Amino acid sequence: MGRIFMITLEGRIYSCKHCFTHLALLDDIISKSFHCGHGKAYLFDKVVNITEGEKEERMMMTGLHTVVDIFCVGCGSIVGWKYEAAHEKAQKYKEGKFILERFKVLGPDGGNYLAIQESLVGGSSDADDA
Amino acid sequence: MGGVEDDEPASKRMKLSSEELRRLSNGSTIKEPVAGSSRDLMARPLQSEGGEEVVGSKGVIKKVEFVRIIAKALYSLGYIKSGAHLEEESGIPLHSSVVNVFMRQILEGNWDESVVTLRNIGLTDERTVKSASFLILEQKFFELLDEEKAMDALNTLRTEIAPLGVNDSRVRELSSYIVSPSYCSLTRSPKQDTVRARSRSKLLEELQKLLPATVMVPEGRLEHLVEQALVLQRDACMFHNSLDKEMSLYSDHQCGRDQIPSQALQVYETGVSLKHKLSGHQKPLSSVSWSPDDRQLLTCGAEEVVRLWDVSSGECLHVYEKTGLGMVSCGWSPDGKWIFSGLNDKSICMWELDGKELECWKGQRTLKISDLEITGDGKQIISICRETAILLLDREAKVERFIEEDQTITSFSLSRDSRFLLINLLNQEIHLWNIEGDPKLVSKYRGHKRTRFIIRSCFGGLEQAFIASGSEDSLVYIWHRGTGELIETLPGHSGAVNCVSWNPANPHMLASASDDRTIRIWGLNNLSTKRKEPCSNGIHYCNGVY
Repeated sequence: MGRIFMITLEGRIYSCKHCFTHLALLDDIISKSFHCGHGKAYLFDKVVNITEGEKEERMMMTGLHTVVDIFCVGCGSIVGWKYEAAHEKAQKYKEGKFILERFKVLGPDGGNYLAIQESLVGGSSDADDA
Repeated sequence: MGGVEDDEPASKRMKLSSEELRRLSNGSTIKEPVAGSSRDLMARPLQSEGGEEVVGSKGVIKKVEFVRIIAKALYSLGYIKSGAHLEEESGIPLHSSVVNVFMRQILEGNWDESVVTLRNIGLTDERTVKSASFLILEQKFFELLDEEKAMDALNTLRTEIAPLGVNDSRVRELSSYIVSPSYCSLTRSPKQDTVRARSRSKLLEELQKLLPATVMVPEGRLEHLVEQALVLQRDACMFHNSLDKEMSLYSDHQCGRDQIPSQALQVYETGVSLKHKLSGHQKPLSSVSWSPDDRQLLTCGAEEVVRLWDVSSGECLHVYEKTGLGMVSCGWSPDGKWIFSGLNDKSICMWELDGKELECWKGQRTLKISDLEITGDGKQIISICRETAILLLDREAKVERFIEEDQTITSFSLSRDSRFLLINLLNQEIHLWNIEGDPKLVSKYRGHKRTRFIIRSCFGGLEQAFIASGSEDSLVYIWHRGTGELIETLPGHSGAVNCVSWNPANPHMLASASDDRTIRIWGLNNLSTKRKEPCSNGIHYCNGVY
């Protein structure tokens, strides 16, 4: 296989729970009040070492958004999504920002996160009406 | 409307006079037959807005200038009679009569008269007149010295040259020649001991350069214009990759696609042409680098050690390491005497071949994933020092320069002349930077795909006029460096193409390495031009051997 291009972060790092690839820094968290199918999710200003999926229109708790799923570059597992566009003005602050599902990452203290198995219809959830 | 073909011979070209153009635009046709006497077949120039006659379909060539430079070219070629005939037939003299007199006086050595004539030419810039007079009188001075008329020479210097008030330092030099003729042998004629005046025709050449071009047509003007056109054509030729193609004046130069490697000549699957198996590294390799003399190989394990191998024996000659740290990249000094390596504490170190550590640059110099390059003069170390920045470190002058990008940098490649850097970015763009002086962005190349891997690109072809890159869509991409146009995509690999290397000795050969575990050698599509050349030093980089 080719040599994967991977950025090494410094500081308090969130990493992929399967392959430990660095994904984001604690300092880049914008909000911790988001939700997803597996429980909590955090909104990040910047995430690295990910590849993007196809653009989709998704109805979230706060309205219709254009998102792309994001995948860890090391192992390919899905770790969250990125907001490409928000259809409502109040939600525009999310554009260009990333969601990492807490269940999919290891926190800076190395801690895992036990998923709350909420059976939510429609996949991703959203929230934080900041 | 009245369109003219430029590539028809001038004798057949018929331009319509403005009278006839008006008639045609009114819908009427020209009743008179076009063919006839040779006079009718002559190029009849159009009238430009300024009233001066012009030739050519675009109306930018003034007829008088055109004829004069042709006459000049004829004289330069030695066709004196033709040149004179042209002047007569066209009624356009190459030089005005005053200038002709002037030139004759120079060649005959009538210095004083020539200075007078110079004033009659009607030059507007007083400085030019003085500088020209200076040259003429300087010649007079030297010729007098040659004839051993030192007093006359001194007189000239005092009363004629010095009052001009031009080039006082030269005046002082000249006065010293009177005293000791041998002094000037250092500056004027190193092979001779005595003062020697240069030839009068040389003086005329100097004067020609000094005087405005309208007064005296510069030497070689027509040749220069034609060369300029040819060079422009060559630079615009996107597929220009062969010295064999001679440029012709008969038609605009345009190479065909067949000059670019586009056909896979050989496909190597690993293990087929194995010479040595170099074992020893415990970790996967992050980079491989040939020594400048091609006899040794440096390999770097990922955050491990750097090993030096002898290529012919396959023996490991040395292991370079630093306790507690891992190496991430390696490179050679251009004279093959020193090894450079990036370490995972972000520093860069330099060793002699025997392992003696010479220098270490600490601080944020390199990243865990970064290439390392040394420029051809051995002075600059190049590495990625931050996500979006490349460091150009002058190790002697201790000066740092930076290339700042907006996107994350994944890899880079240095041109053979060490003047340009090709940078691969995370967002699938390749940027070309000029790294002489203040780094400047020159071009961008797009089209290939990169999402996960380090994809490498390189310079290649005749005078490195092309950029080649791997891509995650299994194609090899080739751009024309000057225009940025994508000129070829080569299918064949069945996996991501990780790196490419254009043979530095053969502009028609390219190698590519892919996730499909093969190496492909690409050559020209034309079987008859296929050459069997050893692929030496064909592959500079390995993306990583797992």
